[in-house]
Amino acid sequence: MYKISNLFIYKFIILFLSFFNLQAFAEDLRIKINSGQVEPLPIAVANFTGEEERSSKIGMQISTVVSNNLVASGQFKAIESAAFIAPPTNPSVRPNFTDWTPLGIKALITGSVKNINDQQIEVEFRLWDVIAETDLIGLRLSVNYRAWRRVAHIISDEIFERLSGDSGYFDTRIVYISESGPQNKRIKRLAIMDQDGENHQFLTDGSFLVLTPRFSPTSQEITYLAYFKNEPRVYIFNLETGQQELLGSFPGMTFAPRFSPSGEKIIMSLADKGVTDIYTMDLNNQEVKRLTDSPSIDTSPSFSPDGKQIIFNSDRGGTQQLYVMDSNGRNVKRISFGKGRYATPVWAPKGELIAFTKMLKNKFYIGVMSPDGSGERLLAQGYLVEGPTWAPNGRVLMYFKQEAPVDDGKSTNVNLFKIDITGFRETRIITPGDASDPAWSPLLPN
Amino acid sequence: MIRSTFISFGLHSLLLTLAYFGLPTLKAKEPIELPIDIVEETPVSTKTSLKLGNQQVQKFKQQKKEIVKEEKNKKNPPPPPPLPTKNIIEKKNLALKKEKEIKEIATLIRKKPKLEIQKKKKPKPPKIIHRPEIIKNKQKQNLAKGILKTLSEPRPSEDNSKNVKIKNNKEVLKKIRNIIGNSNRQVKETDIKLSQTDINKIQNHVKKYSNFSYAASQVKTIIPLKISAITDGTVKSVKILDKSSYKKDKFYRAAADAARRAVLDSSPLPLPKGMEKEFENFIFDFDTSFIRDY
Repeated sequence: MYKISNLFIYKFIILFLSFFNLQAFAEDLRIKINSGQVEPLPIAVANFTGEEERSSKIGMQISTVVSNNLVASGQFKAIESAAFIAPPTNPSVRPNFTDWTPLGIKALITGSVKNINDQQIEVEFRLWDVIAETDLIGLRLSVNYRAWRRVAHIISDEIFERLSGDSGYFDTRIVYISESGPQNKRIKRLAIMDQDGENHQFLTDGSFLVLTPRFSPTSQEITYLAYFKNEPRVYIFNLETGQQELLGSFPGMTFAPRFSPSGEKIIMSLADKGVTDIYTMDLNNQEVKRLTDSPSIDTSPSFSPDGKQIIFNSDRGGTQQLYVMDSNGRNVKRISFGKGRYATPVWAPKGELIAFTKMLKNKFYIGVMSPDGSGERLLAQGYLVEGPTWAPNGRVLMYFKQEAPVDDGKSTNVNLFKIDITGFRETRIITPGDASDPAWSPLLPN
Repeated sequence: MIRSTFISFGLHSLLLTLAYFGLPTLKAKEPIELPIDIVEETPVSTKTSLKLGNQQVQKFKQQKKEIVKEEKNKKNPPPPPPLPTKNIIEKKNLALKKEKEIKEIATLIRKKPKLEIQKKKKPKPPKIIHRPEIIKNKQKQNLAKGILKTLSEPRPSEDNSKNVKIKNNKEVLKKIRNIIGNSNRQVKETDIKLSQTDINKIQNHVKKYSNFSYAASQVKTIIPLKISAITDGTVKSVKILDKSSYKKDKFYRAAADAARRAVLDSSPLPLPKGMEKEFENFIFDFDTSFIRDY
């Protein structure tokens, strides 16, 4: 009996094991893919459909703005709508992907516009992965029909974020100095526009000289420097209310004040008895604190995104170079060691890069480097390129470029440009006149 | 007593193994259908739920039917080659001989690419040495490095002259003719493992279709994708394995989608002949760290 039972158990075990598919224990074959391309993704933005004339027109305008935004980012390549095989469809209808794959399109955007009433419209869009044949994101927005451009920017941000992973920067504004008039009697006005150059507005009338506007990282406020009776004054301009606040007069101010990441302080450089040092001012109690104390010229301070460090340029080493110090002014360390002079450093919003202006052999460059000074890359160059400012996602830089003067220096041509940090796509921003000193806003609040 | 403890120990360990791994037979079979991942619950809500028109529904049904038919046709493999009609003893002896000689040939066959590669490389040896210095694009540089690596490994020593190659070739051909005659199928059935060259071929093929955003450099982990392919290399399905990262990390999600596009776009994959079974289920590990140096 004992032997039989043993045999039974053995048989049972063998039978049980035979059920095992031993292949299941074997690990799957793994192949590593550790390189590829970083090239613009081919996309198609179909015209947003609309049942009525107004909605149809707005739909076309939205799709154009979305397409332009995405292409301008340098990360997307829009296929011409003339090449489309299929007509635009409603976003709630699954497209026939075989109509899009022959064109090499990887992502498709469909949308629609509906009139709710005389003022309100409903804009809907959907992003499709043409290769995986699936939808990636969809959104519906109800707005006043006059705000269609803003809706287009919001849609662009959503698509950009979904396809790249980075947050978008299209629903933002640029404040800059609009210049006009002859060189010896230049009129400088504060102006604001969307990041693509649309919705242009002047904020000051040009009766006094304004310089170097800077956006607050936390709110729709800007600081700028204005010369009132030849005295530099620092103002805060609230864009939502239109109110201006005088922070104070700072005789000897050599460069623009810039906000701290928290928006509670501003940092600036002041000249006193031939020495220029860096100061902070607490906006709550207007307390001014000196951070550097050297016989050299220390200017262009900019906070790191965490507020723990400050980058600035100084000639304390003999030539104008970039230095980093703690927010209390201690542990000053030089980070740039290349040939030429470095100026106007600005810390990227994510903290991984510092943008700067470089002067070398009578040429100006816009470049980026790591906060430790390594990995210097020059992205743009010209007769005069200066004043880099970061897009809120830290992927695009804007700056102004001046061409060599013509007609004995009487006229200049100063324009705003933006470039992707890969350095592959430089785009000019169209402005009504000459433009300099741009400052990029954070994303607009919804 | 000893026996019973032995049996008890065996049964317990078996139960523990089962509890730990589960039933592997259930694991083995992966679903064939292409899963439609719900990527994001869109705030558009019910109004944007997909409505397929009648014509489109019919089209999809027809497409599905066609796919099913194709799969059914593919499921019936071609009949095996007829066995030679000889005595069993002779067959055994022959089989033993063949096994020994096949092993020898297998080693020779593996060497064969060396000869081919050397022929290709010879005309421009100095250019290959200088290329990494000329190419500025780091990605291209990396690709070049990859090519050099695959070339450097099988590079023969200087003693291998043309005569040696020809002799080797002749020996291989002679042995093949002696053993298998004109049938090539038996050579395929030999136990040749997946070579580095085969893997490189697949890697380079997929790399061509891999297009990532610069922001993919933010992804610090490997992106594993489970691939299911049929014998002709057509990719049946791609599954993003790390679902939690896909949901939480927007950089990972975008990069994983790009990786999935790359795999689907690169279909059919250049699978090595005779190794198609290995690729019924396998994993592509996408590493986007190269973008940091781009």
